[in-house]
Amino acid sequence: MKLLAVTSCPTGIAHTFMAAESLEKAAKEMNVDIKVETQGSIGAENAITYDDIKEAHAVIIAADTNVDLQRFKGLPIVQVHAQDAIKDPKSLIMRAMKMEKRDYVNEALEVKAEKKAQLTGAYKHLMTGVSYMIPFVVAGGILIAFSFAFGIHASEQKGSFAAALSQMGNGAFSLMVPILAGYIAYSIADRPGLIPGMVGGLLSTQIGAGFLGGIIVGFASGYLVLLLKKSIKLPKTMEGLMPVLILPLISTFIIGILMVYIIGKPVAAINAGLTSWLKGLTGGNAIILGIILGLMMAFDMGGPLNKAAYTFAVGTIAAGQPSMVMAAVMAAGMTPPLGIFLATIIAKNKFTNEEREAGKAAFFLGISFISEGAIPFAAADPLRVIPSIMLGSAVTGALSMLFRCTLAVPHGGIFVLPIPNAVGGLLLYTVSIIVGTIVTAFAVAGLKKDISKVSVVKSKSKANSL
Amino acid sequence: MDIKDLLSPTRVEFNLKSRNKEDVVRELVDILYRDGKLYNKQKFIDAVFKRENEFSTGIGMGIAIPHGKDESVKEPAITFGMSKEGIDYKAYDGTLAYLFFLISVPLNSDDMHLKVLSMLSRKLMHDEVREALMKAKSYEEVINAFEK
Repeated sequence: MKLLAVTSCPTGIAHTFMAAESLEKAAKEMNVDIKVETQGSIGAENAITYDDIKEAHAVIIAADTNVDLQRFKGLPIVQVHAQDAIKDPKSLIMRAMKMEKRDYVNEALEVKAEKKAQLTGAYKHLMTGVSYMIPFVVAGGILIAFSFAFGIHASEQKGSFAAALSQMGNGAFSLMVPILAGYIAYSIADRPGLIPGMVGGLLSTQIGAGFLGGIIVGFASGYLVLLLKKSIKLPKTMEGLMPVLILPLISTFIIGILMVYIIGKPVAAINAGLTSWLKGLTGGNAIILGIILGLMMAFDMGGPLNKAAYTFAVGTIAAGQPSMVMAAVMAAGMTPPLGIFLATIIAKNKFTNEEREAGKAAFFLGISFISEGAIPFAAADPLRVIPSIMLGSAVTGALSMLFRCTLAVPHGGIFVLPIPNAVGGLLLYTVSIIVGTIVTAFAVAGLKKDISKVSVVKSKSKANSL
Repeated sequence: MDIKDLLSPTRVEFNLKSRNKEDVVRELVDILYRDGKLYNKQKFIDAVFKRENEFSTGIGMGIAIPHGKDESVKEPAITFGMSKEGIDYKAYDGTLAYLFFLISVPLNSDDMHLKVLSMLSRKLMHDEVREALMKAKSYEEVINAFEK
């Protein structure tokens, strides 16, 4: 008969470990097999695995903090204070042994759940990264949008308040991908995952690989750290060096090499190639160019395709003349967050509360041409959201071209619309943006699943994260 | 790293004067403060009592381990005290406490220190360690007790 136990106390310094030791000691004297997980200030040690749970007869929770019981679903639980395990461990163990274990059917269900959960484990890691990233996107985006309120060129004035706002906003934005990647890795590999994840995320931004690069590097970092943890064996006296020196150094070095040489070079080449390809298209069909630019703007928001399209567009207004390309690109960059916002309104049940709040912020970011407002949604569910926003942006890009709308400034969203001569064909330009927004919203709403279904999967995957 | 690194000879008192729980915490914190391990004495005392109010760290078996995790702490440290007469530390088993380990930890401390503290807590659960501690008359004997 095997028992499991979790011990934990508020400071995580003393009682957690005394309770654990006293349970282990008593079990040994009673000849009972027990595994005790300590949730102290170092984090979880001697962590209980799924296999442990499958074999276990009952669980003792000796804790004065909230211990997540979800993973023990199906097992009888004896719940007491940490000090009870110190006082009288033997009677606790007796109580746990007398508990009746649930029947076989339940157990079979658990095994099934485990298989499903393994498939969705990656989803859980992704969601951890996204939920940490959302506030950075919201705060940063709104600060940048505020800076536009002072006039579209106000933030270029050094020392002005608008410049300060823009600086703050961009500060938050520059942390966005590092946070995303860092917390994906954190979810996989705990604290040591943060370092390669965040550094890799920063490199992803620097080399222009954007949030998609960030997702890749987050997963790569997490699993790399797990692998290193398993494969590096140090003498006991040096073990302390693992989390502070060995793991961060080696994993960051490997991830750095990956980003700079293996991902960085091709991304730069793609960027250069696309820009010249777009130049070649200029003489051809304007509507097709609008579609292509729209697709590129929405695909990776801040990644190589988006950058290539945007840089190309800015090039067309370099001499200060209004350009159809610039108009199409800005419009296509506004519809992703606007469409997402609309989707959170018309299909509330497909978004979490957190996402619905972020949806409101996405509206402000959208009208300010801050495409990043859509990133949390795209990162959380890339296969459904990215195609949807690409569709909407393609429609908007094509319409803007069809209506021969023009734009003479490179940024600003609706803040530039009232400026005389900034926009050519104001009414139809607005129509293009609205149509793309509606298309995006319906595509997102149609493709995304109900959140209730997703959350079931989520809770199962949580049970697997032992 | 082991207990020696956290419990220095400068923070060991074999003849505690206090007679009650309040005083003994202050007496131990005094030793810790004089040894330069605290930024703010009163703030740390408050942290320790806040912890005690959740429930007593008098774990019975003659031992109490008051502890606090607070920003007033400079670096992790253990302060050891022994009371000849015993002090009513409100232990669950009603026995008097003779051995006191005051554990002070800053808000951010690295895992190595925390590992040592967790090891100390675990060792205290063993009769032979406690017996050796009760008999200890010098710093060396306290350290040696944990080698058991």
